[in-house]
Amino acid sequence: MKHLFSGLILCSCLLSTHSSQALSLQETPLFAQQVEVGDLPPVSERVPEQLQLVRLEGDRSAGEHGGELRLLMGKQKDIRQITIYGYARLVGYTPDLVLKADILESYEVFENRIFTLRLRKGHKWSDGHPFTSEDFRYYWEDIANNPELSKGGPPKTLIIDGELPVVEYLDKHTVRYSWSKPNPYFLTALAGALPLYIYKPSHYLRQFHARYQNQETLDKWMAKFKKRSWQSVHFNRDRPYKATNPDLPTLQPWSNQTWPPSERFIFKRNPYYHRVDENGRQLPYIDTIVVNIASSKLVPAKTGADESDLQARYLRMDNYTFLKTASKRSSFDVRLWQTAKGAHMALYPNLNTNDIVYRRLLQDVRFRFALSHAIHRYEINQVVYFGLVEESNNTVLPQGPLFKPGYKSMGIEFDLAKANRLLDELGLDRRDDRGIRLLSDGRPLEILVQTAGESTEQTDVLELIRDSWQQAGLKLYSIPSTREVFRNRIFSGDAIMSIWSGLANALPGADSSPQDLAPTSKYQYQWPKWGSFYEFSGQSGEAPDIPAARQLVELNDRWAEVATREERESIWHQMLAINRDQMFTIGIVNSVPHPVVVSEYLRNVPIKGFYDISPGSYFGIYKPDTFWFDEVRR
Amino acid sequence: MGGYILRRLLTMIPTLLVISMLVFVIIQLPPGDYLESHIAELQSHGESVDEQKIQFLREEYGLDKPMIHQYWYWLIGMLQGDFGYSFEYDLPVTEVVGDRLFLTVIISVATILFTWIVAFPIGIYSATHQYSWGDYGLSFLGFLGLATPNFLLALIMLYFANVYFGTSIGGLMDPEYIGAAWSMDKFLSILEHLWIPVVVIGTSGTAGMIRRLRANLLDELQKQYVTTGRAKGLPEGKLLRKYPLRIAMNFFIADIGNLLPAVISGAEIVAVVMSLPTTGPILLTALQSQDMYLAGSFLMFLALLTVVGVLVSDIALAMLDPRIRLQGGMEK
Repeated sequence: MKHLFSGLILCSCLLSTHSSQALSLQETPLFAQQVEVGDLPPVSERVPEQLQLVRLEGDRSAGEHGGELRLLMGKQKDIRQITIYGYARLVGYTPDLVLKADILESYEVFENRIFTLRLRKGHKWSDGHPFTSEDFRYYWEDIANNPELSKGGPPKTLIIDGELPVVEYLDKHTVRYSWSKPNPYFLTALAGALPLYIYKPSHYLRQFHARYQNQETLDKWMAKFKKRSWQSVHFNRDRPYKATNPDLPTLQPWSNQTWPPSERFIFKRNPYYHRVDENGRQLPYIDTIVVNIASSKLVPAKTGADESDLQARYLRMDNYTFLKTASKRSSFDVRLWQTAKGAHMALYPNLNTNDIVYRRLLQDVRFRFALSHAIHRYEINQVVYFGLVEESNNTVLPQGPLFKPGYKSMGIEFDLAKANRLLDELGLDRRDDRGIRLLSDGRPLEILVQTAGESTEQTDVLELIRDSWQQAGLKLYSIPSTREVFRNRIFSGDAIMSIWSGLANALPGADSSPQDLAPTSKYQYQWPKWGSFYEFSGQSGEAPDIPAARQLVELNDRWAEVATREERESIWHQMLAINRDQMFTIGIVNSVPHPVVVSEYLRNVPIKGFYDISPGSYFGIYKPDTFWFDEVRR
Repeated sequence: MGGYILRRLLTMIPTLLVISMLVFVIIQLPPGDYLESHIAELQSHGESVDEQKIQFLREEYGLDKPMIHQYWYWLIGMLQGDFGYSFEYDLPVTEVVGDRLFLTVIISVATILFTWIVAFPIGIYSATHQYSWGDYGLSFLGFLGLATPNFLLALIMLYFANVYFGTSIGGLMDPEYIGAAWSMDKFLSILEHLWIPVVVIGTSGTAGMIRRLRANLLDELQKQYVTTGRAKGLPEGKLLRKYPLRIAMNFFIADIGNLLPAVISGAEIVAVVMSLPTTGPILLTALQSQDMYLAGSFLMFLALLTVVGVLVSDIALAMLDPRIRLQGGMEK
């Protein structure tokens, strides 16, 4: 036991956990009436005994209750964004991207393989029912390990080398997950924008579960929800991320009150939320979130007409000038946040393409560098992006902890002489009468770049690349299609090259998984077949046949096994360096600003921030439960 | 007449059956299925995909079964009044469409009334005052209406309505009334928003109708019975209403066949541009995301209305115009 304790990493957030008696809690005006007539217990009984005290410092200040936040979304399904914005997670990222207990009171990690999670005493679901280790047991035993509900067994992130965790319910407020080997994915999965839900409101879901109900009750539910099995009823009622079931209890700051289908969804504050500010006001400050559904193409226009208080979704860089003009006659402010992708646009040479001549070429690192040197990134930046973006490889961003200058800049300078020399070295020195180089079998070197056909921006960029590639004797054609066709052409190997955005999370820490840098998924457009081979354990796809790719796979596997953070960091750098030296993807620009429209009356929204789903959960890490309205709008 | 109607009703069955097959096959033609479109969409926003849920849904929706099986399931369901399940909305199709049908009918009926009220007097005036300044002027306006793309007109009117009248952009009512119970305020808000789509959708229809009415009426006005009537001293107004106008209305009756489905589908493109809560945008997104039962059932409904509408207009024509015979060519 002593040994165990010496290996514990205690989490820092114990300090911010407070007992509810020490603060003088203030009742939320919205609930005052209900508390008075006895429909709702007073705030001191609603918040957990071990509440989370929030201190707002710097340019953020403690606020007051009230107000209605209006948002615009393009589809009914988009209401899941509120689950992302709300960002109440068992553990969550802070704006500095440090993991911290949030719904949990604290957690302890031993050797990265034994995780002890402690719940807050007195924490309740949004319907007032206690939130306890039973809710974890229900998920683990009655959902994840119930073959009828989860045919494939528990989620992959919970399985390490084929081994399931031992889950113990130590008491009402303590749960322990242990593996015999490290599981580096566990905590990050809990903190994701789409989190791994290892807890479920058991008191609510039991009524749909075959283990707890007789056939008669199940039949009744099946008839009511027009489903063919009790599993579908359970599945349909239990969608915490989608927020489509207003009856489902939640731990989020706001919960949906509107049954779909609708064009307008109302989210009301959760009376039992666990966070309280330093003045004793229970969060969130804002009472109501109203989501209006409009056609996504109208969202910029409606935002410009002052119909949203906090809008970033469906706005694009090219709306910036319109919004800025509109802001002069309206009451909002347009801010530019940064995106956290490794590349806003990157070319993906398909190393698994079916055409053997092209495949040999694309697999040669000199060819990839030649392609990169023949791209005039400065020109693209000036022409398409008003000079506001960074010319960069597809790699981590300078703001992240793992950045080194070479990652960004190696091989991206516009150097036609070098590009031509490299291509000549490859034996591509014969040209046809258009000046296009000829392949070894006599065909002209024509590179067909697949696009998903969704934005004119991609075609604009490709147009500029075509001009400069022409001077290196390469012919570029862009092939627009639809998203499904686009992907299928890449997976099947019909595509030679494609254009898409780069690394999804370019602000990783050493503890985030580096799997995007190695062939691990078929959705990696530079090596879909190698990725598929790894993803489906060799049952589909092909084994990587160049050493650098094999090395990346080995490094990625080793990252999951090593015990210390330093080792993980060193593996990250090795993998980044391989990607830099091999240029498996050809990044063009990154750090593209994203317009964020914020009502003048809305406080605590950062002036500058990152707008991306991973790792920031859009507004999530800035904690919208602390945003508040000026008096005018309360 | 009875035998004719019965025969027509019977031929509807194979017609609809063939339509249902075509609809189903065409919806399924693009590669992939709803879930693949769904995954692609999630990933384009950088969201992760829960493979297990996808697998569960694939079995749940029967997408792992062969196409012929899916078609059979859908067809049998429709015969029993079950129009299938919308994957996108996670609700039965009837619930998804039901909500919007009412507003669609309001817009369409208002548009049709607008078209008639504007087109009739103008069409009659143009025909009776052929080659006058009024005829030229109104025809010019009509052609402008016909030539201007609806969506462009919609955008321009949205902008001006917002800037000068403060009407919220798009939609059919101010946001606070969506989902609220019916009240005078809600009704007024709808009226405030309704005129834009009505004018936009109506302009092209109006222009077309003016031209057709004018042409038909001109044909009749030249005929001898009109001259005879005038020679016998019938007043101009009565002469016009009693004879040539009636005959010139044939095209209008024949139009009913197209009118019925139009009332339900509600001008898709304009509805998308203006973000109207009608059925048009639902159909469009359902086709895009391969939400096959929603798209399929909706298209089938439109097909049914078209087939019925054509029958109704045929019967009405036969009753109105004694020159039209139902058994055309059969007696020979």
